Amino acid sequence: MSKQESDADDRAENRNQDTNGYEDIQNGHRESGSAGSERARATGEALVEINELTKTYDPDGAHVVAVEDLDLDIGDNEFVTVLGPSGCGKSTVMECIAGYLEPTEGEVLINGDPVAGPDPSRGVVFQSNRLFPWKTIGQNARFGPQMRNDVDDERIQQLLDDTGLTGFEDSYPHELSGGMQQRAELVRLLANDPEVMLMDEPFSGLDAMTKELMQEMLLDIWEEEDRTVLFITHDVAEAIFLADRVVVMTARPGQIKDVIDVDIDRPRDSSVLTSEAFNEYQERASDLIHDEAERAMEQKQQETQEA
Amino acid sequence: MDGARWAKRGVSIASIVVVWFVAASIGPSTLPGPVAVASAFVGYLGEPVYWNAVVLSSLRVLGSFTLAAVIGIPLGLLIGWNVVFGDFTFPALELLRPVPPIAWIPFGILVLPSVAISLGVIGFEVSATVIFITFLGAFFPILLNAIEGVRGIDEEYSRAAHSLGAADWQTFRHVIYPGALPSVHTGMVVGMGLAWVNLVAAEMISGGGLGFMTWSAYTGGSYPVIFVGMITIGILGYVSSTIVRYIGASQLPWMEGSTV
Repeated sequence: MSKQESDADDRAENRNQDTNGYEDIQNGHRESGSAGSERARATGEALVEINELTKTYDPDGAHVVAVEDLDLDIGDNEFVTVLGPSGCGKSTVMECIAGYLEPTEGEVLINGDPVAGPDPSRGVVFQSNRLFPWKTIGQNARFGPQMRNDVDDERIQQLLDDTGLTGFEDSYPHELSGGMQQRAELVRLLANDPEVMLMDEPFSGLDAMTKELMQEMLLDIWEEEDRTVLFITHDVAEAIFLADRVVVMTARPGQIKDVIDVDIDRPRDSSVLTSEAFNEYQERASDLIHDEAERAMEQKQQETQEA
Repeated sequence: MDGARWAKRGVSIASIVVVWFVAASIGPSTLPGPVAVASAFVGYLGEPVYWNAVVLSSLRVLGSFTLAAVIGIPLGLLIGWNVVFGDFTFPALELLRPVPPIAWIPFGILVLPSVAISLGVIGFEVSATVIFITFLGAFFPILLNAIEGVRGIDEEYSRAAHSLGAADWQTFRHVIYPGALPSVHTGMVVGMGLAWVNLVAAEMISGGGLGFMTWSAYTGGSYPVIFVGMITIGILGYVSSTIVRYIGASQLPWMEGSTV
C-alpha cells in the first residue's frame, strides 16, 4: 500500500473535482506519489485493512445496507477521521474493526489477521460515555490491566496526572463533569495500551470549549506514544483538525466518497483552526458532505413515512 | 432528613387514625375505634402469645426472603444474561407465577411436611407450606427484577469490558452483576412487601404467627385484636422494607441520589 500523502497540486485538483466523480478514488487508495510533505510523524505499514466490506442488517425483514463494498487501509501510527452524515454506516465500520459485528461480506484484517471478536489491542471509546458507573474513576482506570492481573500503578497514576484527574480516583463517574468523564474514559483506554484506538464521536456531547481542549489533549497523547487512531465524527472542523486523512463517507449505503489528505504541520493547536489552509480543507469537506447529508435526511424522512 | 419532611410523614400516618376514628363513630358497631384497639394493643404487649406470633412470623419472612434472594438473584441474572438458559427456564417460571398464593395452600398442606425444631429455649414448628408460600411472594419480584436489571444494561458496557480484555465471566462479575444491582434492589423491596402479604394468607389457613392470631381473633369474636394483628403486620412490613431499602442503598454508593 502506498502512502496516502498527496502534494499540493493533488489537493487543488481534488478541490475542483465534480462531486459526482468520486468513484475514481472512492477506494481511498491514492496513486499519487508522495511529494515528501512535512509530517511530524511517519506512518508505517497498513495496520488495519478493510477489504470490500459489506454489512447488511435485516431488522423485521427490512433489508438495510449499512456499508457497501468499502475498502480502506489505515497505516500504523496514522490518525484517520471518518466524516459522514448521521446514519451513514460509519459506526458500523468501527464496530466491524472492534469485532462487535461480523462483516456480511469482505474482511477486516489487523496486521494481516482477520478480526475475531473484541481484543484489548483495539480499544474503543463510545459516543455516550461508557465508564462503568458502578466503579470509581480509579477502578475504571485500572480495569483493563486488572483483567490480566497486570496493574501498573505508576503508569495509571501518571495517566491520571496527565489528564488532571489526580484526586478524583475515589469519585464515581456521575460526580464528574462531562469533560472529566471523557478524560477518564481515555485514561481507561490508554492504561490498556491499545495498538489501535477506535473512537466513535467521543466528544459530540461536550460543549465547544471542552471539546477543543479534549481534541488538543488527544493529539498530545497521540503524538507522544505510537498509536493508530480511527476517529468517527460528523463535525467537519474536528475531522480536519485531528486527522492525517479525512475519509468522507456517502449516505447509506455507506461508501467512501473522497479521502482528504490533511497536510497541516504537527504538532497542531487551536491556532490552526484560523489558518487559511484549514479553511480551504474545511470548505472542501463541507462541500463533499453537504449533498450526502441532504440525501441522508431524505432517506430518514422516507423511512419515517413508510413506518 | 429535615424536620418538615418527618412532620409530613407523621401527618400521613395520623390521617389513617383520623379516618378510622370517623369511620368507627359513624360506622357499624362491629368496627372498633382506635381507642378500643389501643387498649387491646397495650394489653397484648404483655402477652407471650403476641410476642411468639411476632417472632414466628418475622423468622418465617426472614427465612423465606433469604431463600428467595439466594435462589432468585443468581437465577434471574443467568436468565437475563444467557439466552439459551433463559429459554430453558423462563417459560416454566412464567407459568407458575400467576398462580395466586392461596391456590398453593391445598398443595402445600397435602404435599409439604411440617418439621418441629427445638432450639433449647424456644421450640417451634417449621411449616414448609408457609415457608414455601412466603418464599413465592418474594421470589418472583426478585427474579423478574434481576432479569430486567440485566436486560436494561446497555450492551456497550459489555462491549467496553470485552474490548478492555475481560473474559465472559469477568464481564458477568464486573458488568452484569453490578449493573443489575439497582433493579435487583427494587425487586427485593417489592419482594419483602409481598412476602408479608403471602405469609399472612398462608398463616391464616395453615396456622401459626400473626396471620393465625388475626384470624382466630375473628373466629373468637375479639374484634379489637384483629386490628392489633393488622397494625402489627403493617408495622413489621414497613420496618422490614425500610431495612432492605437502607441495606440496598449502602450497597449502591454509585447511584445518583442514593442517599435514602
